[in-house]
Amino acid sequence: MNQVRDYLERPKLYYNIDGVGELGIGFMYLTYALFAWLEARAPENSFLNRPYGFLVYMTAMVSIIHYGSKAIKERITYRRTGFVEYTARDKYWIPFALGAGISALLSVGIALAMRRHWQASTLVSLLVGLALTAGYIRIARTVRWKWAVFIVMLAGAFMIAALPADVTEAFANHTDLTRAIPARTLGACWLTFVVFGVVMMISGGISFWLYLRHTEAPEVEDE
Amino acid sequence: MNQQIRAIAGLDRVIHEPGRFMIAALLYAVDRTDFLYLQHETGMNKGTLSSHISRLEDARYVEVEKTYRGKVPQTLLRLTPVGRKAFEQYRKNLKQAL
Repeated sequence: MNQVRDYLERPKLYYNIDGVGELGIGFMYLTYALFAWLEARAPENSFLNRPYGFLVYMTAMVSIIHYGSKAIKERITYRRTGFVEYTARDKYWIPFALGAGISALLSVGIALAMRRHWQASTLVSLLVGLALTAGYIRIARTVRWKWAVFIVMLAGAFMIAALPADVTEAFANHTDLTRAIPARTLGACWLTFVVFGVVMMISGGISFWLYLRHTEAPEVEDE
Repeated sequence: MNQQIRAIAGLDRVIHEPGRFMIAALLYAVDRTDFLYLQHETGMNKGTLSSHISRLEDARYVEVEKTYRGKVPQTLLRLTPVGRKAFEQYRKNLKQAL
């Protein structure tokens, strides 16, 4: 029965066969970090500090990820190893449920961070790091060497949480956001997104390179 | 024991063949896919894969659509509702038999 389950899982794991899934997630983490960095340094009346600024930025980021992945799949992956169209449940509902779950977890983290008297900075950044690492398990299951990436992420989450307060504070000091969230928490979370984004981009890049090396488009003939 | 034997006897012969089982399982997990993907995942050659697909098509378990992706011909495959039901029943019977 395990073999049946294995066959049913394979098409789902196929999405990241070329590393594009990881590249997309890594890009998303880095753009979150970039937005936080820009927002912190932009003047108070800048569009980045307006409520719609984040919305515009998010729309641009999601569009780049969606159309960028689609272009790579259309031009490279579908021609080399085939096309798969997922069910609405896999395409929309599961990502939506996962997104809602992670957002809820992050909201709890932010709520904890805003209670300054709790001094929960370490816990919050660890929570964010562990949530992002847990999300990676699905990808790590596809290829054995990805477990090394998982361990790097896990170690990264603990190391960032264990950084001295003045180091993490230095990343977020003198920004408007620190009026609501302690600078050390904000800095640790920002650092988490940067580190995880870079790790995902490297891992996705290696997968993409390996995919290009080991696959080639078949000659066109009748099937 | 009797029930187990009955479950084995009730296994769908069309799906029971390992090659066709692989195809049905892969198609069950997605909305649709193309010939190249099935070839990549199952490791079968074109002839073998085509003959298994024809058998599944004859049983009305699989729907085949010939189309083009740009200038490249593409064969899209989808499990029909009958095929989905048959695969679910096959899994149920296999569970009982084991």
